[in-house]
Amino acid sequence: MKAARPPRWYADPARLGLAALAVSAAAFFLLPLYVMAITSLKPMEEIRLGHLFSWPTQLTLDAWHAAWISACTGVACDGVRGGFWNSVSIVLPSTLIAITLGALNGYALAYWRARGAALLFGLLMIGAFIPVQVLMFPLVRMLGPLHLVGSLAGIVLVHVIFSMPIMTLIFRNHFAALPRELFLAARLDGAGFLRIFVLLMLPLSVPMLVVAAIMQATGVWNDYILGLVFAGREHLPMTVQLNNLVNTTTGTKLYNVDMAATLLTSLVPLAIYVISGRWFVRGIAAGAVRG
Amino acid sequence: MPVALKRMIVATLLLAAGSAAGAAGPRAEVMHWWTSGGESAAVRTLADAYRAAGGTWLDSAIAGSEQARAVALSRIAGGDPPTAALFNASRQFRDLIDQGLLNNVDAVAERDHWAQFLPASILDAVRVNGHYYAAPVSIHMPTWIWYSKAAFRKAGIAAEPRDFNELFAALDRLKAAGLIPLAHGGQAWQDNIVFRAVLANQGGAALYLQIFRDRDARAIASSEFRAVLTTFKRLHSYVDAGSPGRNWNDATALLITGRAGVQIMGDWVKAEFAGAHQDAGRDYGCIPGFGPRSPYIIQGDAFIFPKSSDPQALRAQLLLAGTVTSGAAQLAFSSRKGSIPIRADIDVHTLDPCAQLGVSIMKDRTRQLGNDESYLTPDQNGAMADVLTDYWNRDRDVAAVQRNIAAALRE
Amino acid sequence: MNKPAASPAAARRAPNPAHLALLPMALTALVVYLGSMLWSLRISMSSSRSLPMQDFVGLAQYQRLFANERWLHSLHNLALYTPLFIAASLVVGFLLAVLVDRQARAGGLLRAVFLYPYALSFIATGLIWQWLLNPELGIQQAVHGWGFAGFRFDWLVDQDRVIYTLVIATVWQGAGLVMAILLAGLRAIDADILRAARLDGVPAWRIHVSIVIPMLGFSFATAALLLLTAAVKLYDAVIAMTQGGPGTASEVPAKFIMDHLFGRANIALASAGATIMVLTAVALLAPLLYARRRALRASR
Repeated sequence: MKAARPPRWYADPARLGLAALAVSAAAFFLLPLYVMAITSLKPMEEIRLGHLFSWPTQLTLDAWHAAWISACTGVACDGVRGGFWNSVSIVLPSTLIAITLGALNGYALAYWRARGAALLFGLLMIGAFIPVQVLMFPLVRMLGPLHLVGSLAGIVLVHVIFSMPIMTLIFRNHFAALPRELFLAARLDGAGFLRIFVLLMLPLSVPMLVVAAIMQATGVWNDYILGLVFAGREHLPMTVQLNNLVNTTTGTKLYNVDMAATLLTSLVPLAIYVISGRWFVRGIAAGAVRG
Repeated sequence: MPVALKRMIVATLLLAAGSAAGAAGPRAEVMHWWTSGGESAAVRTLADAYRAAGGTWLDSAIAGSEQARAVALSRIAGGDPPTAALFNASRQFRDLIDQGLLNNVDAVAERDHWAQFLPASILDAVRVNGHYYAAPVSIHMPTWIWYSKAAFRKAGIAAEPRDFNELFAALDRLKAAGLIPLAHGGQAWQDNIVFRAVLANQGGAALYLQIFRDRDARAIASSEFRAVLTTFKRLHSYVDAGSPGRNWNDATALLITGRAGVQIMGDWVKAEFAGAHQDAGRDYGCIPGFGPRSPYIIQGDAFIFPKSSDPQALRAQLLLAGTVTSGAAQLAFSSRKGSIPIRADIDVHTLDPCAQLGVSIMKDRTRQLGNDESYLTPDQNGAMADVLTDYWNRDRDVAAVQRNIAAALRE
Repeated sequence: MNKPAASPAAARRAPNPAHLALLPMALTALVVYLGSMLWSLRISMSSSRSLPMQDFVGLAQYQRLFANERWLHSLHNLALYTPLFIAASLVVGFLLAVLVDRQARAGGLLRAVFLYPYALSFIATGLIWQWLLNPELGIQQAVHGWGFAGFRFDWLVDQDRVIYTLVIATVWQGAGLVMAILLAGLRAIDADILRAARLDGVPAWRIHVSIVIPMLGFSFATAALLLLTAAVKLYDAVIAMTQGGPGTASEVPAKFIMDHLFGRANIALASAGATIMVLTAVALLAPLLYARRRALRASR
């Protein structure tokens, strides 16, 4: 990608400019995280003083400890850790199924003719504009008789349903952007629907699969209202605890615990972002097309 | 039904509830929104009392009262209701009663003579067509006037204000001393609290009831009400620039640190002062209202009991209704919640001075007033809140505001 | 739908595997989405309060809706917010994608930095933004502390500017995702084309403007549609930052619907609002989807 011999970065005004832009953009994005982090390390007495940006005069991990282990949310006093494995067991199937279906839908819509498919897709996209809370009530009524309310299968199904418009959209547009000649060539070679999907399309879509996984896993991980209604007492995700800590009207707010709990709860999506980096490598398309 | 027969049924039910132990005992999934530190400690006393009475308490805490009620409604509609769910003692659950979705707890209410000790507005909310559909648990007073003693000293204010003139004089002195006179969180519900404080204290109980209970168009258009709205708006000139959107506890923090003088807010702020190791009387003062006849606004919480396909549910519900309203449970709960007990027949000397003051005012039934939501539908209440918060924040012609309020309450 | 397709003859061989693959989507679209929309439509013509009722009151709820100042103001705010949010997110997201793409060494780190806001629940980050933007507490106060007493940044408490603070905070949250989508699109561009352009001595900015952006058309479309759905459903940020205030200055339709669905126990009026939102989405989407279909057909 680079010219034969790039000048040293400090000698090149364009690259210097880019670096400066990168640093200031990073600073803007990190400022709220900085405030969150130092707030989580201050005792409440210091937070009440209102010095937002100042470094804590006494650093304490009490809030982190409370957020993870001992903070009370109603009768239970277990912090946010209680629902951790519930969240994992909801996120894994919800993400895998949603991405698989989304990719399959996108592929079928982009390359195959199916009667009424465009109309269905349009309907699905319109559905994406309805707030989930509006759909919650009719969905409870539909799933209730099927005994799916209050079970792991129920909450996974609900997540798959609500993510389908976006997942389908992402993959449809992604496949539509790939050169159509690839598909036609594979057809001429006699490959069928599934074979083309698995052996040709998926390998071409790794970065988009990562983006879809990021979106879906984050969305499901951070959801709590659907989990509350559909997962049942046995499978409540950890965000229910997080919300109970953070979200109170007339109760006292412990901002340090709120911030620590938020950061703790976000560790899984954050880890996904960092780890996913290695799948964002350049040149996949070029390699596959020419190979 | 003859009284004797009723008594017998009650006794049988309660015996069954009381004698059953362990896994065979009544199990109650209780849905509520008490999730913060002090609230958790309070609800734990109820759970302990229930357990001591032989029940099993399954806790379903959901932060945010609207959220918690929404989930309860969804689950009732989906045929998977909790055993009990917290609502405000108001018209919020009237639809559920009308559609026959709630069990009544008449057996317990009549045994324990709820009608004798419940304040009228709470009784009206939980007793519909002669049946008791909810068990009240707490009474908050939303329109206390709190002040920082440190700020008052700094501004040279010697005595507690006793009417609005003295309050405005105090606010002027606070302003002159370079302090924030009125610590206010500019969110619609908090604006609304300030409005109700002015309506109850300046307009008096009569006007308050004409507006909220009777939705009397003539009272809304009256010059008295106009004066209330003017006073309300005048208070806005004493808030600081950072007020809009602020949380109530951040406003209280301004009192705790002595940077602001006065806050008008419910008695849950005591938990915030307690968290900062400040005491009523020493570090801060609480004014329930102006004058010896000032009304006491009652904001109640109550458990409702959805009908269920589970035959054991009613037993668990009756036991719960009896337990949470008992004197001992009420005292333990109130001291942690910052509220006052729902019953007037218990000794409250262990509660804090502000709560004791509240209890003593409550003894005079004529000073009790319902909260806005005990008279208005949630919809009317919300529409009125929209008008008021708009008026608080913008320059509006008072006559137009009066017309808008009349329109909001007409629905 | 019935027009003869120019697809390979093999695709018409029965049974069509695509039909089978699209079955879950068909069920979801018809049963859940269409079903719920029809349900909302039905409820919006009843007098339901906190629970659904089966009576019929015609368009009374819609009349009430459009006589409601707060609803009209919400629509106005959304019309202001949506284009700003989408444009800003696309521009910032694209710049970030280019930055990450061009930084060989720090690229991974930068990508994580730009993406992390998306991982955090807005309940807490909204509070942080509320603090940062509060004139007595946040940025304005800090700049005053550095000696610039004349500095003013009080949009959060300004009736007319509060909506822009929502744009700032939500772009902060969403731009990273746009960046990721555009990066994935960038990775799919044939590297040889860019290499050839560079060898011809075309400057980097021109490569981006004339080659990369057009080739990212589908990625931009994906991102824009995603942002549009997020903008229309804007709710969390409002709750966490302004609660619709000061006054009713930052009210949005989703909050109006939610308030009436739950707190105000008027699901009929809320359903009327939801139906209006769906109809608006149809009005916006139908021409877009139609134009795209025609473009696709023409290109084949």
